Amino acid sequence: MKKTSAFVVLPLVLAIASPLFANGTKEAADSAFKPSKDIEWFVSSSPGGGSDIYTRMISDIMTRGDLSGGQSFLVANKTDGGGEVVRLQVSRVAAGAQADHTLLTFNSGDLMPMVKNTANRLENFTPIALMAVDKQLLYIGEMSKYKSFAEIIAAVKGGAKVVIAGSKGDDVATYELLVKELGFTQSQIAYITNDATSGAITSILGGHVDLVISKPAAADQYVVAGKLTPVLALSKTRFTGNLAGAPRLSELGAYKDVEFPVWRGVVAPKSMSPAAVAYWSRALKEVSESAAWQSDYIGKFKLQPAYMTSSETAAFMAEFQATYLKSIGK
Amino acid sequence: MENIQLLMHGFAVLFTVQNVGAMALGAVLGLIVGAMPGIGSLAGVALLLPLTYRFNPTTAIIMLGALYYANMYGGAFSAILLNIPGDSPAVMTALDGYPMATVRKRPGQALLTSNISSFIGGLVGMVILTFTGPALANFGLRFGPVEMTALLLVAMTSIGWLVGENPTKGLLLTAFGILLACVGMDTLSGSPRYEFGNIYLLGGISFTPFVIGIVGFAQVIKLMEERSLQVKAAADKLTLRGSMVTRHDLKRLLPPALRSGVLGTFVGVLPGAGATTASFMGYAAQKSFKSEEPLGSGAIEGIAACESANNAAAAGAFAPLLALGIPGSGTGAVLLGGLMMWGLNPGPLLFVNEPDFAWGLIASLFLANLVTLLIAWGVIPFLIKILSVPTRLLIPCITVICVVGSYSTSNSMYGVVVMFLSGIVGYVLQKARYSTAPVLLAFVLAPMLESNMRKSFIISRGSLGIFFEKPISLTLLVVLSAIVLFTAARPLLVRAGLLKSKGAGQ
Repeated sequence: MKKTSAFVVLPLVLAIASPLFANGTKEAADSAFKPSKDIEWFVSSSPGGGSDIYTRMISDIMTRGDLSGGQSFLVANKTDGGGEVVRLQVSRVAAGAQADHTLLTFNSGDLMPMVKNTANRLENFTPIALMAVDKQLLYIGEMSKYKSFAEIIAAVKGGAKVVIAGSKGDDVATYELLVKELGFTQSQIAYITNDATSGAITSILGGHVDLVISKPAAADQYVVAGKLTPVLALSKTRFTGNLAGAPRLSELGAYKDVEFPVWRGVVAPKSMSPAAVAYWSRALKEVSESAAWQSDYIGKFKLQPAYMTSSETAAFMAEFQATYLKSIGK
Repeated sequence: MENIQLLMHGFAVLFTVQNVGAMALGAVLGLIVGAMPGIGSLAGVALLLPLTYRFNPTTAIIMLGALYYANMYGGAFSAILLNIPGDSPAVMTALDGYPMATVRKRPGQALLTSNISSFIGGLVGMVILTFTGPALANFGLRFGPVEMTALLLVAMTSIGWLVGENPTKGLLLTAFGILLACVGMDTLSGSPRYEFGNIYLLGGISFTPFVIGIVGFAQVIKLMEERSLQVKAAADKLTLRGSMVTRHDLKRLLPPALRSGVLGTFVGVLPGAGATTASFMGYAAQKSFKSEEPLGSGAIEGIAACESANNAAAAGAFAPLLALGIPGSGTGAVLLGGLMMWGLNPGPLLFVNEPDFAWGLIASLFLANLVTLLIAWGVIPFLIKILSVPTRLLIPCITVICVVGSYSTSNSMYGVVVMFLSGIVGYVLQKARYSTAPVLLAFVLAPMLESNMRKSFIISRGSLGIFFEKPISLTLLVVLSAIVLFTAARPLLVRAGLLKSKGAGQ
């Protein structure tokens, strides 16, 4: 139990001691923003999920690297309305100290349902940074009828019907692109939406579907154990390591590579002050350059590092939103 | 034999001061969290998770495992004493637990029955887990969307007949539960349903506030109504001795507890089924065996059947989690997130790569089960004092618990609004002599049925044939038709039987 008390006491000591240090550096950064109260960081999905781990990883690195100005991060998971409630709440925070101390985890899987189902738009937020990009692969299971993706293409052309299982949001979008590029219909290659990739993996392990779509992190252990085999890289370049065996679509015939990058970012209320935006953008840059981030997150979960500054992120997300809105005819 | 050795090794890992301390703390917290309506094991584990990042993984999971486990005990306390289920599996416990505590005036025995059955169920589940771990997980995998659809159809069809005395009311309430469960985003395509442009309804009606309201707050309204005419019969058997079960009670408790233990373990292994389904199935199974008193009137068999099943399911849920890295429940998913935070890779290789961790956890479940039994036993005399609290004090206290519990599920007032509204609905239902349990069960099971059924149809391209091709689902469909046909034919059979006997008499 000693460890717990150290864990509780340490931030307290830091919090008490930080004003002392702040005085020493005051002249160096007089106009600059520095967190002066606890930071509320919202996550629109449940504890333990991908976005939650991402958020806690970043806040943990910030706290340890003294990037939070001695303040604590209060990570709050709010899932009402599929996350729309908290997104609306963050977008409406009034300018002031509260706005400067509010952050929201935001990825492409959040943006798509938001603009599809509500009137809330990216313009109601201030993008702070983009941190990483994830991509998917298709895997077969031990009990799958087919052994390669080329076999599957041939089988579907011969009249067979194939079922892919995957998660929500971005996985569905990738699947739709793939079916379109192959020139098949969605009844020739059908898709089953699961709440999370783990559900999709369960169904392929039991032999109930033919293929599963997953990001490398969720499937990693099953590939190591030989229970899943990657058969198609949904990327313009092949993956590395034990995923290197999976060909790109263009290697299998006269197709273009299919890729739908899943980006993971951080946004803030529209009303956040420019000084605070600059501060958080810089802090996230330091996180992205830290060894802990590189090895414990990017390396371990096989993501691609993709840090972007606030303005770069804003441009990137805006383009993404425009393309997506166009694709759903809104 | 090898498994026993590994388990012994697990115990060896376990016995450090730090680990045993963590376990005891987890068990106590779990009891408290479980007994608080609205803060279920999911929230408990999620709240504690950040505190454990600095622990070594074995210690951390032992603590969370104990918490998860003890929570299953705690959920029954408020169900039995106040008719407010502390967590969703306890909905079934309340059916017999509350009458036993109040009508039959045996609160101590009701609590003890629930504790002992929980212990037995947990033990059965853990023994099965120890010896068949990976095989058990593979059994669960065989239940794909098709098999789950058939299983859920059996469960949903029987709700109306199992709970309450009137099947018509039961069916009506089942349908009402299904309707409420449809509100929000559709599980497969994500399109909004019945949300009336309201952003809160888009996420559906949250289960916890709904349960707290329809059962707990409805109870508060009832207490308010009866406060003047109710003369509180002071519970006089407040001692440990006074709450002992008799040898005869034990004899009644044992068979259902053992049966439900085995049943619950298997239900716990199924993907997404969880402890609520298990406790319901346990109760349903008990209906077809003999009980000394009719179920629903405070029968020991009823409490034993569902409490044992729910704890067995909690143990069973560890099989897919440890052997395959697949969470069997929401709580499992949070534990899984925890495993990753501690730098462990959950998945098929966990037993091979981290035997200390995996077997240490299983060993800790055994010990946590025993420790929780003893602690829970010890608090019974204090707990039953709740029954002698005057109603005028009880009303504000329970109301506060209801509000806090429903707020904490999503940290918003939406939960509180849901709680108050469903409280009124629950009160009206009670007044009209409708049992609320079918609504709750249908509410839990309907989304699972919907998503599995739609997945099955995607696989089969809309053909019903798929349900008859797979052996497991075919068997379940035969069971389903037997239930339906038997119920439909029963009046005819009775009449035929009566005619025959009359004829024989003349």
